[in-house]
Parts: sequence; C-alpha cells; structure tokens
Amino acid sequence: MQNGSVPRLELIGITKSFPGVLANDNVSFAVKPGEIHALLGENGAGKSTLVKMIYGIMPPEKGEMRWNGEPMDVPNPKAARKLGIGMVFQHFSLFDALTVLENIALGMDGNLSNRELEARVREVLKTYGLTLDPHRVVSTLSVGERQRIEIVRALLLNPKLLIMDEPTSVLTPQEVAQLFETLRQLASEGCSILYISHKLNEIKVLCDTATILRGGKVVATCDPKQETSRSMAELMIGGNLKDVSKDASRTFGPPHFVVDNLSVPGDGRFGTALKDVSLSVRKGEIFGIAGVAGNGQNELLSALSGEVPVDRDDAILIGGQAAGTKEANARRKLGLCAVPEERNGHAAVPDFTLTDNAVLTARDRRNLVTAWLINRGAATQYAEGVIDTFSVKATGSAATAGSLSGGNLQKYIMGREIMQTPDVLVVSQPTWGVDAGAAAAIHQALVDLATAGSAIVVISQDLDELLALCDTLAVINEGRLSDPMPVADADIEQIGLLMGGVHGESDTTHMPKPVVEPEAPHAV
Amino acid sequence: MLFKVEKRPVPSQTMVYLTPVLAVLVTMVLGAIIFSLMGYDGIAAVREIFFTPILNTLKWQDLAVKAAPLILIGVGLAIGYRANVWNIGAEGQYIVGGLAATGVALATHEMTGWYLLPLMALAGIAGGMAYASIPAFLKVRYKVNEILTTLMLTYVAVQLLNYLIFGPWKSPRSFGQPQTVLFNADQTLPYIIPGTIVQAGAPIAVIVALVAWFLMSRSIFGFQVRTVGTAPNAARYAGFSANQTVWLALLIGGGMAGLAGMLEVSGPFGRMVPQFPTNYGFTAIIVAFLGRLNPAGVIIAGLVLAITFVGGEVAQITIGLPFPAVGIFQAMMLFLLLAGDFFVRYRLRRVVTAASVKPASEAAE
Repeated sequence: MQNGSVPRLELIGITKSFPGVLANDNVSFAVKPGEIHALLGENGAGKSTLVKMIYGIMPPEKGEMRWNGEPMDVPNPKAARKLGIGMVFQHFSLFDALTVLENIALGMDGNLSNRELEARVREVLKTYGLTLDPHRVVSTLSVGERQRIEIVRALLLNPKLLIMDEPTSVLTPQEVAQLFETLRQLASEGCSILYISHKLNEIKVLCDTATILRGGKVVATCDPKQETSRSMAELMIGGNLKDVSKDASRTFGPPHFVVDNLSVPGDGRFGTALKDVSLSVRKGEIFGIAGVAGNGQNELLSALSGEVPVDRDDAILIGGQAAGTKEANARRKLGLCAVPEERNGHAAVPDFTLTDNAVLTARDRRNLVTAWLINRGAATQYAEGVIDTFSVKATGSAATAGSLSGGNLQKYIMGREIMQTPDVLVVSQPTWGVDAGAAAAIHQALVDLATAGSAIVVISQDLDELLALCDTLAVINEGRLSDPMPVADADIEQIGLLMGGVHGESDTTHMPKPVVEPEAPHAV
Repeated sequence: MLFKVEKRPVPSQTMVYLTPVLAVLVTMVLGAIIFSLMGYDGIAAVREIFFTPILNTLKWQDLAVKAAPLILIGVGLAIGYRANVWNIGAEGQYIVGGLAATGVALATHEMTGWYLLPLMALAGIAGGMAYASIPAFLKVRYKVNEILTTLMLTYVAVQLLNYLIFGPWKSPRSFGQPQTVLFNADQTLPYIIPGTIVQAGAPIAVIVALVAWFLMSRSIFGFQVRTVGTAPNAARYAGFSANQTVWLALLIGGGMAGLAGMLEVSGPFGRMVPQFPTNYGFTAIIVAFLGRLNPAGVIIAGLVLAITFVGGEVAQITIGLPFPAVGIFQAMMLFLLLAGDFFVRYRLRRVVTAASVKPASEAAE
C-alpha cells in the first residue's frame, strides 16, 4: 500500500453485526507508524464497534487484523495492551475519591512498587510536558486533567498505537490545543494514533489521513488537509449539506424573555447550582449559553422551562409576565416551550407512540385534549404534520419514539415544539448526537423561528454550533453566567478562558464532574 | 444445541399478551408435578382447580361472586401500579371500606329506603380513600416508601376490625359471637339473577373496570398516570405533577378497595364478622399483574383467580387437597408471570455450532 513500509495496523474486510444492525461491513484500512489517522463518521456509523474490536473488547465476525504485518490475535484488552495498543475512552473510568497515582496503579497490569510507579509517571509527565500532580485527589481535578490521567495510563505502556475516542468533547479550546501538542509529540516519536471524532475542524488541524465510515462501510480515505470540512461532512452524511441561511440585517424587538438574578440551591454537596443568573433575550434574537458540561446547564434548563419552579415569581418574565413559580405547563400556556438535552425519557417517552409524544407537550397549545379526553384525530394530525414538515424518518405517527434513530427523534422533538410557534424557546444541546444533515435542518428551523419573532435560548457545549447560530453569547461556569457578548465580535480565546473558569487554576473548590453521556442508540 | 439470550430490538407486544397465558399453563404443569410428588393425585388437582369451575355450570355463580371483589380491587391497583405507586395494602383499605359501610348500616339500622345502599357505598369508598391517604401523605410529604406503609396499615386495619366487633359494634343478640347485627333488607345487596347467589357486586365490578379501561386509554388522566409511571422526567417536563399522581393513584386504589369492602359486607356477608378479611386485597395484586395492569385484562385475570378459589374448594372436597394448595397455585402463577416477562425484552436464539465455523458465537458481550 505505502511503497514497501509495513503498516502498524491493518484491517482487512472486518465485519460485525448486532441484532438488527450491521455495525461494520467489510471494513479495510491501514494505519502507518507515526501516523495520526482519523476515523470519521456520524453516530452509529460503526466507529466505536471497530475500535472495540481492535482493543480486544469484542471479536470480529469476519475479516483479518494485522499488527506490523503479522496476523494479530487480541482475545481481550490485556492482550491488546501487551501488543502496545493503548486506548483513552470517551468516558473516564476513575475513582473520584482516590489520588491520581492510586487510580493509575489500579489500572496497571503488572506489579510495580508505588515509588517505581511514581517515578515512571513523573517521567512520562515530564517527557510530554503534561502538568498533573500525582498526589491530587481526582474529585478536585478538571475534566481536562482527568483526561490526562487516562492518557498517562496509556503512555506508561509505551504504546505503538494509541486509540482516542472522542477526546475533545468535554474540553475547553485551550485544553484541546494542549492535547493536540501532546499527540503530535507522540506521533513524532513513531507512535500511531487512531483518532475518533466527528469534529471536522480538529481533524483538519491534527490528522494526516482520515478514513470515513458511513453505515458501517468505508466510504472514503482522504487527506483531511486537502479536503474542506464541508467536503468531509458531505462524505460522512452521503449527501449535500445545506448551509444555515440567516438574514444578517434582521432587527430585534423589545426584550421578551428576561431572567433576573436567578439563583437555585444545589443538592447540598456542591453548594449553589445557579448563582445570580441574569439574561435578557429580545424578540428575534438567539441567545447562546456556552460551557463545559456539568456547570449548571441542566439546572438552568429546568429552572427556565419550569420543571423545577423557582421561589421568586419575578425571577423569570415571559413577555412581561412573572412566571418564576409557575410549572412547565403553565409556562407553556404563556408561550414558553423548552427542549431538554436528554431525548429518551425526558423530552420524549420511548415507549409511547409519536402521537402520544405530541400530546405530551402540545396538548394545550394545540387543543389536543377536549373535556379530559385526548382527541386522537387531532393528535395524530399534529404528529403527522411534524413528521412531514421536519422530514422525520419514521413508519408513521404510530411508531414508538424509541424506534427512531437519535437524529430523527431530535428532529421530531424540535419540530413538536417549534410548530407550537412559541414566543420563547429554550433548548439544550439541540444537535447532540445528531447527524450533520439533521443538525443543519434543526439549525435552520431555529433561525426561521427567530426570524418570525421568537426569543430563543440555546444551551450547548458545542462552541462551533453556538458561534454559527447565535446573535449573543454568554458562558456558564460553576453556575454563574458571564456577561453577554455579541457573537459578531466574540473572542474564542476569551470564551475558552471563561469556560475554564476565570478565577484560575488555583481554585479547586469544586470542579465539574465528567459528563457521562449515554451511548447514542443503535439504529435498528 | 445451544441457546443464546439476546435483547430484542423492540419489546415484543406478542409476548406481553402471551406471557399470562403461558404462566397459567406452566402453573398447571408444575402444579400437577409438585402435588404428585407430595402424594396427591396431581392431575386431578389441576383438573378440579382449573377446569371443574368452568365445566360445571352450577359453579358459575360462585365465580361471579368471587371475581367481583378481585376485579374491583385489581383495577384500582392496576392504575396505581401503572403510575409506579406500589400499594400492596389494598386488604387494609378493603377492611376499612367495609367498616365504614358497616358504621353507616349500624347508624341507619332502624331506617328504610333506597338511599341506604348508595350511602353505604359512598361511605365504603370514602373509608378506603381515607385509609389510603395516610401512605399518600407520608410518601408525598416525607418520602416514606408506600410499600411498607400500605402493608403495615393492613395489620392495623385488622386490629381495628377486631376491636369494633368484639367491642362497641358487637350485636347484643349474638350470644357472645363477635359479630354485628344482620343488616336490614334495604342495607343488603339485591340478587340480580333470580335463583342464584349473584348480587349487584358482579355487574358493578365489570362496569367499573370498563370505565377505568376507557379513562386509562383515552383520558388525559390515564395519559398522566402512564407518563409518570414510565418516564418520570418526561412527566415533569410535560407538566404532570408526580405528587398529584401519587395522591390520585392511592386514592383510586383505596376507593375501589373500599367499595369492594362495602359490596362484600352488604352482599355475601350481610354483617361484619371476624372472617371479613379474605385476602382479596392481596390476591388482587396477582390479578392486576396477570391482567397486564390493563383494566380490561383485569376482568379476565379476576375470573382466572376466581376459578382457582372455587376450584380449590372443589378439590378440597373431592380429593382432599388442603386449601392452602390454592395459594401455592396462585403464587406460582405470579412468579412465572414475572419470570416470563423476561421474554418481552429478551429472546432465545439457537446458536449454530460446528467445528468448521469460526467461534464467532462467543461474541456475546
């Protein structure tokens, strides 16, 4: 393949199926020594299954894997580590109450004295310029620092191949830059890196080669530096990507959704969940809230949507009406709709049909209930309207929400709220785990709703999404919201600092816990 | 031949309805084996318990009498269980409902009029509701587990019953027997089929079950209960109050059990006696589950359990089977039903193993 040089890892015709889905279909590609190789694809494209087979978590059904040209047999992760394969998972497996060193010792296969281990850990930290105190307790560390523990763990094995699964999804821009530096140094020493991501900008900056998966198949192998983000995205989704069109000359109306010094007590262990949050959104404006997960976003959404009413009625004003103590459905009647981050079991009931899921939130605004009885006809009609308008792929309004793929369910949920034409819409992670095509459709729908005069709040961890979508941006950190800034002159550097907490590294009172995102549901 | 357990892509609707049928069938088979091993005629036991009550038309009226309270209580419990409110103290609510109705009957014993029975029914419902409101209050206010409170209050209710009929409510003409006076004619349920022992309880139970079925499937109230039960976060998001649902679930369960208590005391019993607690409240738990927590299914399940009761009495006489044997059959049915529900979400798949094929089948996670 590559003029004589033997690839570090070569996959030939790998196939793996699960009940109802072919996760990998005849996948072949090769990773050269010292290469940073991106594995690119949407949720459910088969990336995770593939690396699980490389790391020995599950065996392939068909096909061959070669390691430095030799047939490779990895019945379990231990065997993979022995070969020199290290992996850093998206979800960390760390004990919060133990120190960095104790956590590393727990993950080691061999037996090493504490002193030897500490010496080796310090050596690795020094070699790669990583800052991490081996004696700190994990619960006091930031997400970026926690990830460094996992990286050190992998590096202690002197890996020849390092697999990184979505490593940047919880990092601030500064932490991402630092991570990339480490990875480049590793690669320059001959370690191959298999980098799994769907963030195209990062792949363009970091990777030498990209293998793109779609529906379990390899659809292209390319040099990301030669491609545009758009061309790769189109390969990923297998179609044309529509740009979000936004009228730049739009004017905003008067403030329509006002939050005034909103504070929410925490659950006891972490003090205040929200502290003096104030914001004001005008008609037609999209207000973005950036931040690393676990900094109060969920509490903010619950307080704004009315799921958890707050104690002061005038802390939240919807079109001038005090609504702080009102619960979700009462706020809906005032014109505020909301979409929480978690789709299954929160924004929708997986066991219910799409019709029933329409009744869930649209029953009053759309008159789906008359005299205590559900109007099936009207509910079905509304559900079908949402399915049509938002091109939701479903067998019909009688399909259960749980049978839809993540992206399609999200389109349905967003459509269900948007078609109620709310005056105020609050959404959290509107495109989390959603494929690029569906994400573009959702973004466009949000822009259109704003253009029609609604005030919109978007809470997201995806900074690129917020920068593309919003007119105004603020950052949430440890329950405090920064001053709003117009997106037109936003400074990424400054946003990154705000996301990491402006009060510096010395403050260790409470750092966000790592997000544990549930696996995206497999397509059925 | 090897089998592998794997998760179904979607829960099987067929299995949801097939499981109760299978549970009953497997109960018959296992029951026959167990009682044969114990030295009884196992096959005859199953025949007498499960088939004689159906084949012998004379037993049908007994079925109606036994099924009525089971259906009534089972429907109330099914609604609560749908909302994830685990009221297992329907027996206590049934007793207090019966006592409340008795209280009205004793206070109006010298009166006549059509309104006495409705008044007693209201008292029964109110009594059951009041008794169920204790666990509801404790759960909503102090997050006390309703499984414990409802169960323990059952024993309190039994003591209350004993106190009343051994004490203030004891009939002066009962020659020392702990029982109240016989209710008067206007306080006793009428027989609706002449020449049988079927009283108004049976049609009331069926009508209540059908109304409940309609409300659960079509009304916003049923929607609220189902949402709170399956997805509490989604319910909060939809604006359904979890506390309100706890109250509703317990009040409905208590009210229906109380009504069943009134129908029993003014029907088959005709007075309050120490034998009034007949475990209907506990058996109705099996009825609710066997009926798939669906009020329409509860009607069928109530009949099935009634068959085992009536059949148990038959088997006692004909082959000398001890009456607790019926309890074994009923418990086995619930146990197998819950075990069978595994197959709603999982299935067995045959694994082909041949020496030539690569051991891909070991892929089970």
